[in-house]
Amino acid sequence: MKKTIQLTINGQQVQAAVAPNQTLVQFLRDDLGLTGTKHGCGLGDCGACTVILDGRAVNSCLVLAIQADGCDVLTIEGLAEDGNLHPLQQAFVDKGAIQCGFCSPGMILSAKALLDEKPNPTELEIRTAISGNLCRCTGYQKIVEAINEAAEVIRDREES
Amino acid sequence: MLLPRFDYYEPATLEEALRLLSEMGGNARVIAGGTDLLVRMKLKVEKPGYLISLRKIPGLDAIVRRENHGVTIGPAVTAAELSRNELLLDRFTPIALAAGRLGAPVVRNRATIGGNLVNARPAADLPPACMVLDATLKLKSFSNEREIPVGEFFRGPGQTVIEPNELLVSIFAPIPAPWTGGAYIKLGARKALEISMVNVAVILTLQSPQGPIIDAKIALGAVAPTPVRAFAAEEFLIGRQPSDDVFAQAGVIGVGMCEPITDHRGTMEYRCLMIETLTSRALRQAYEKALTWKP
Repeated sequence: MKKTIQLTINGQQVQAAVAPNQTLVQFLRDDLGLTGTKHGCGLGDCGACTVILDGRAVNSCLVLAIQADGCDVLTIEGLAEDGNLHPLQQAFVDKGAIQCGFCSPGMILSAKALLDEKPNPTELEIRTAISGNLCRCTGYQKIVEAINEAAEVIRDREES
Repeated sequence: MLLPRFDYYEPATLEEALRLLSEMGGNARVIAGGTDLLVRMKLKVEKPGYLISLRKIPGLDAIVRRENHGVTIGPAVTAAELSRNELLLDRFTPIALAAGRLGAPVVRNRATIGGNLVNARPAADLPPACMVLDATLKLKSFSNEREIPVGEFFRGPGQTVIEPNELLVSIFAPIPAPWTGGAYIKLGARKALEISMVNVAVILTLQSPQGPIIDAKIALGAVAPTPVRAFAAEEFLIGRQPSDDVFAQAGVIGVGMCEPITDHRGTMEYRCLMIETLTSRALRQAYEKALTWKP
């Protein structure tokens, strides 16, 4: 039996009826068409489905849509502002941290959760923050560099 | 990967949750973080007809200091929360360190201490940490309540003494004595998203910074069907002056308590060598932590 949930997704109020066995990633992709969130392993191993739920990066394949009732969800679609890429997105492009792109939304959201908490992270903190996100193309070096650069850009922007 | 069908309940009070559990018994499972349960349901290892969520029940996600005698941890406290809690880092170090090694950040933000204990995986991170801290688990059903020392909770892989109508409602650990230090070491092939090949939690209490050792507790994970205490190694340590040599001997004795298996993560022989090494290394870390103890 479907139940009605109300939540905020990328700043917008959403009300929808969901089945109990529907995961948050299925709800985002299949019901709302927000396909930026990728469905990878479905078992919490790969991190492709990472979204930010109430400020914390989580695997949306291991959250029931019904458990997100009343929560605030940020997906990759919610990062750009007024047509401008978020500094993390821009840094991923500039630093060549993207190849096939499948891990990128999850990587970027795990990085965003880190930078929201620690604007000036060490390399170890960056590597730990994305340790639940697997990339099979670029290797992690360029991704780490991109996150580091984005952190600088965000710090500079907030100082000026 | 799809989840089988089930009915979902989100009780707003503990009483309501316990009533639901007593009515549905074995056909219901409790969901907190869901990082283990939903995986097992997707793999069709478990097919509960009902899920009872702890999300709306107030207080289950709190860490509460009990004056000067201990700490009460709610079962729905996440691993991420445990790993950054100042009181736990300072006085209950193995719990905070073990929580910080569980899965990866995306998992730790959902996974809970209650789930990690109740699922009773032999290689789980938090059970050995709770064992060395002498934690007591409070189990509640609609009509009953009991307290079980964590050392008597585990029965085998995935097996505990908890009844289908019972809920783990809190974890209590007494504050360790002055000049106590703790440590937790997890060995895997990589640093994140890893299941332990061997893990060891240690608590060491000194009479004073000059020694001798007056209390020691060692618990090992992934070395037997349940996490085990290395009692013989603990007894060996008590009364001795801390030294690398004494810690190394305790490691050798610790191996005797274990029955590790050979699997794709490591061979029995390698695990035995690692139990020895990691036990002595954890003792050394706990000793160094004990020396920094402050009232």
